[in-house]
Amino acid sequence: MPILTLKFQDKSLGEYDLEPRKPLSIGRMDDNDIVIDNLAVSGHHAKIDMAGTDYILMDLQSKNKCFVNEEMVTSHKLRHGDVITIGKHQLTFAYKDDEEKPKKSGEDLYQTMVIDTSQHREMMKKSKQPTADADQPPAATLSLLSGGQGEIAISKKLFKIGKNPKSDYQIDGFWMGQTAITISQRPDGYYLSYVEGMSKPKVNGEIIKTTVRLKEFDTIELSRVKMQLVFKTPKKK
Amino acid sequence: MPLPLSKTFVESAGLTNIGRRRKINQDALLLDDQLGLYVVADGMGGHKAGEIASRIVVESLGDSMGNPAYDSDMMHPDDSFSPEANRLLSAIQNANRNVFRSSRENNEYKGMGSTVSVVYLQDNSIIGANVGDSPIYLIHRKQIEEISVPHTLAAEQAATGTNGITQPLHSLSHILTRAMGTHDSVDVHLCEIQRFKGDILVIGSDGLSNKVSREEISKAAQTLPPAEACKHLVSMANQRGGEDNITVIVIKIGHVASRLNSVVKLLMRFVGKVFPVFPKKRRTV
Repeated sequence: MPILTLKFQDKSLGEYDLEPRKPLSIGRMDDNDIVIDNLAVSGHHAKIDMAGTDYILMDLQSKNKCFVNEEMVTSHKLRHGDVITIGKHQLTFAYKDDEEKPKKSGEDLYQTMVIDTSQHREMMKKSKQPTADADQPPAATLSLLSGGQGEIAISKKLFKIGKNPKSDYQIDGFWMGQTAITISQRPDGYYLSYVEGMSKPKVNGEIIKTTVRLKEFDTIELSRVKMQLVFKTPKKK
Repeated sequence: MPLPLSKTFVESAGLTNIGRRRKINQDALLLDDQLGLYVVADGMGGHKAGEIASRIVVESLGDSMGNPAYDSDMMHPDDSFSPEANRLLSAIQNANRNVFRSSRENNEYKGMGSTVSVVYLQDNSIIGANVGDSPIYLIHRKQIEEISVPHTLAAEQAATGTNGITQPLHSLSHILTRAMGTHDSVDVHLCEIQRFKGDILVIGSDGLSNKVSREEISKAAQTLPPAEACKHLVSMANQRGGEDNITVIVIKIGHVASRLNSVVKLLMRFVGKVFPVFPKKRRTV
């Protein structure tokens, strides 16, 4: 097991063993594994996780950030001799002399491993920081410009518009398809697909016969209905 | 083998290969044209644990989805998803619990986990779901895009901006932030997309995506029959080192009947207008 040595102005304050599979937390609060009672240190400042044979340092959105070898890091794979600076304190990461250090190259590079970031994500949510989860685009609505009034929330991952009464938004018309268009949420944004019917949609005045990625404020016309895509950003306090 | 589904024609093939360096294959796959269900799982964990985890994921998903009596056991289904997507989400949660339970009960399986990437075809839509970093690609009108989200430390760092990263992102790319079986519940990424005739889907393990580019995957999937495309892609990954297990599934979607139906329906309406003696069929929804 590697050791973390806590120092303040070159004076050693203690040594801490890193145990396999046990995350180690660093911060000012008493519930941390390494408590640094200093105002420059956040309540829960950083944590170290084991992933495979590696140890990963993660900054927990601390106010004064983490530095490794004088460079700011948000996450960092620790190497023998790395010096972590938290506030005015330093932690040195070192493997014991008789200990086998992880290989730097070869098969290990391809070994998949999992790190527990749930605690990190929870804390980011609580502190209202932008989350690292890029799973979903922001919530969006269709603001009706003509042919109707108000806003339509895109409430489904695959939002269907057409004359079928089961559609998520119904537009009647002889030439309208049962499902004329769909708007789907994908990892990188919203996509409009023309599906069926003689009424073809227009995006920013251009007829769409296939699938296009939508940008915010794009106007969508379908028969007599004209609408605009608007993103809903979370309200800031 | 091409199989007529209820309204569509789907041609699919899958291949898993141990690679050139590993002693065991920890990947698992499932192809079921009848159900429209395609799964790739990439296991991790020492000794045989990773192999067990991916196998539990694939078998559990196949059992749940293949059982007509299996219904969503979700207490609060997500209304933004279709009922089919909710059913798949529930089956993935169930598979996750099965891996988690097994790792708790057997000491030698402790800490095991797996990725999972699923394509579940519906009559008019594609449901894609994933946990971990096995990619799902959609090739629509010759354009390839990834419809899965990689749950890796590198991707999370990239999403929040590269500020504060001193090491190359690829050194963090094999570190997952989510996996099947490491906790009693799991956050699943899921998307639903309109499907079209000619769409091609490719699911792979990272043994493929680390070695073969998107463009190469797209070209092989478009120009070769699915089985040939799988062989070609696996052989490419092996020629470039094959350090990891390699798995690939290629699914080609043929004719979607609903588009033709709409034309027929339209013609029938014309006929109905011109000759009103024809009984008007009432649409039931």
